[in-house]
Amino acid sequence: MATTATISISSPDLMPGSSLSIAANTTLTKAGVTADLTQMETGVISLVSGTEYRLGPLATEMADDAHDIASYLYICNTTTEDATYYIDWGINETMIGRLYAGDWMFIPWNASDDAAEIEIEPQGGTNTIEYAFFNSDFILPTAAA
Amino acid sequence: MATINASVTISSDISSNPISISKTMSMTKSANPAVGLEETTGLRTKKFTATTAAVIVEHDELTDDKAHKVYIRNASTNRANFFYVAYNASAAAAATAETIGKLYGGDWMLMPYDGNVNITVASSTASETQYLEYMVFADGIVAAKG
Repeated sequence: MATTATISISSPDLMPGSSLSIAANTTLTKAGVTADLTQMETGVISLVSGTEYRLGPLATEMADDAHDIASYLYICNTTTEDATYYIDWGINETMIGRLYAGDWMFIPWNASDDAAEIEIEPQGGTNTIEYAFFNSDFILPTAAA
Repeated sequence: MATINASVTISSDISSNPISISKTMSMTKSANPAVGLEETTGLRTKKFTATTAAVIVEHDELTDDKAHKVYIRNASTNRANFFYVAYNASAAAAATAETIGKLYGGDWMLMPYDGNVNITVASSTASETQYLEYMVFADGIVAAKG
């Protein structure tokens, strides 16, 4: 059960006289070992602006010590609107960047505790995202009695 | 303006229905998505032989609240070792609240970055040399002050 992530970044004119070509590939594995990841979650969600949402599980929704679990998150903002539409993303109530229309991101994520959740907040109007989350240890919330 | 294209392909057979995600984006300015980014701090490779946290992206070199992109890759191959990567002024360790994640040997990441706080890293090991590659695609660089 292999999960691989490949990136290529190219530009013929960012650095005049030196075309840019970055290529990298990695096989995503459990933390610190070469065993493959075994769990995943994908989705497509339309998000109304003005609200902060959590994406992915809380640390306490992962088995063992969440900080020692290797998790990877892919998000793409599939919106095609203008520059007033974007998604603020961050961790632990700290916004880190803006995912504009058509932009994607791919990061490793290790939650130290529940406060270190992945947060996204759409701006400008309804933004639609595609996402994929890979790890091996998230658990489902217990159903109400 | 420059043309910068970034493509990702993620393939997984975790599910009995294998998935393949493939997406390409053009890196553009926040003020005008029709205009490409045209500045960069350049591609850098740094050797780490200690676990001391280090700043790899200084936010005061970049314009605040813009559509910067940061590419980081652990160029080492040992999956037992990693770099903490954090959005933090000075620290990058397990106890740091703004630690984004652990970049294991061979792993890479690409994230949008607002340029408001430093990006810091720390190697998990001092007994084995690790190499980090990184590059900022900037939506505005602030000229160094004399």
